[in-house]
Amino acid sequence: MRRNKRYYTAVLLLTMVMVLGFATFCMASGGNMPINQPGSETPRFGNWFVIGWTAINFFVLVALLYKFAYNPINAMLDQRSNTIESSLKHAEEVKIEVEQMRKETQSNLAESRKEAQEIVARATKAADDAKNEIINKAKEDATNIKNKATAEIQAATEQAKVELKDTAAALALFAAEKVLNRAITDDDHKNMVKQFVNEAGDLLC
Amino acid sequence: MIFGMFDGTLFYVGPIPVDHLVVTEWVLIALIGTIGYFATRNMQMVPRGLQNAFEAIIIWTYDFFTQLMDKEHVAKKWAPLLTAFFLFILCSNYSGLVPGAANIPGYQPPTSNWNVTMTLALITFFSVHVAGISEHGGHYFKHFVSPSPAMLPLNLIEEVAHPLSLTVRLFGNIFGEEMVIAFLLFLAPFIIPSAIMGLSLLLGAIQAIVFTILSASYIAAATGEGH
Repeated sequence: MRRNKRYYTAVLLLTMVMVLGFATFCMASGGNMPINQPGSETPRFGNWFVIGWTAINFFVLVALLYKFAYNPINAMLDQRSNTIESSLKHAEEVKIEVEQMRKETQSNLAESRKEAQEIVARATKAADDAKNEIINKAKEDATNIKNKATAEIQAATEQAKVELKDTAAALALFAAEKVLNRAITDDDHKNMVKQFVNEAGDLLC
Repeated sequence: MIFGMFDGTLFYVGPIPVDHLVVTEWVLIALIGTIGYFATRNMQMVPRGLQNAFEAIIIWTYDFFTQLMDKEHVAKKWAPLLTAFFLFILCSNYSGLVPGAANIPGYQPPTSNWNVTMTLALITFFSVHVAGISEHGGHYFKHFVSPSPAMLPLNLIEEVAHPLSLTVRLFGNIFGEEMVIAFLLFLAPFIIPSAIMGLSLLLGAIQAIVFTILSASYIAAATGEGH
């Protein structure tokens, strides 16, 4: 609308300029109309020079149209259609390529997923194995330690028993000596001790 | 003095006289050529401005003449000539609206002289037969004796009547219009002629279109399937 307004204003201005120009033209001629009554005679016919020149001019115009309008525009249209065609072709190729890549990616993805699953399964199994192994080893260690401790306790008990027996024997001997007031010979000693210890040992244990 | 419709020699090129009309034609052709040059001077893949308008016009002429002629290759072959007719006649008719036309001695629209319109009509006449022969070869001449040899005189008269009618129609319209404007300018120079000028704006375009479409239809008839 705004542009239309501008056009209309331009046309109006041009018309006013024309009218004013013509009026000035008339005024400048001092009130005498600069134009005479037009004659109504038709132009001469058969002016061969005009005909020839017009024909030449017309073909010059045709040549100009070819040079400046039809040839470049036809060339441009051809070029444009070629460009569009090649673009479409290219787009089709790219589409096919993308489809192929998509398929490839999908298969790769499936493969990767499978592989990952395998890896996870393998890792799980390995972890399970390791766990079992550790547990077994721990159990074994515990058993060993326990056995060793038991054996040690056993040995210590035995040793303590022996020591106790010896101490008891010594005490008994000492007591016996005190009672008898005489030294006991080695043979006596041994016999008594043995006897006592056996008895006492039976009592103790 | 034949005022307004003065035709006479302006100067000589060697022995050949150059008429006022011819100089006007040069100016018009230079104008069309200049616009064409600036429109297509820097062709772009994505058209803009004047190039866009020119491309639209050219494509439109192809479409228009293809519709009129039914044969695309014929339309493409003759579209430039027909467009040249249209542009030449349109600019020539409108040159009669420039102030001073038909009042300044020697300055008048070229189409208001029947030497010029006859030249254009003759070009159409020859184009029609060239198009017919190039499309149908020797068979083209059969249509002069169709549907029966008895029709030969009528057919020949028809062939002559075509350029004659083109000549006289265009000349009569533009000459008459120029005379009316000249008389009105003489009688009432200020506001009154503008009505006729507005009318002649329409008239100029209509005459250009009529001449072009008639030429195209003559070519279409000569290249059509009727032969």
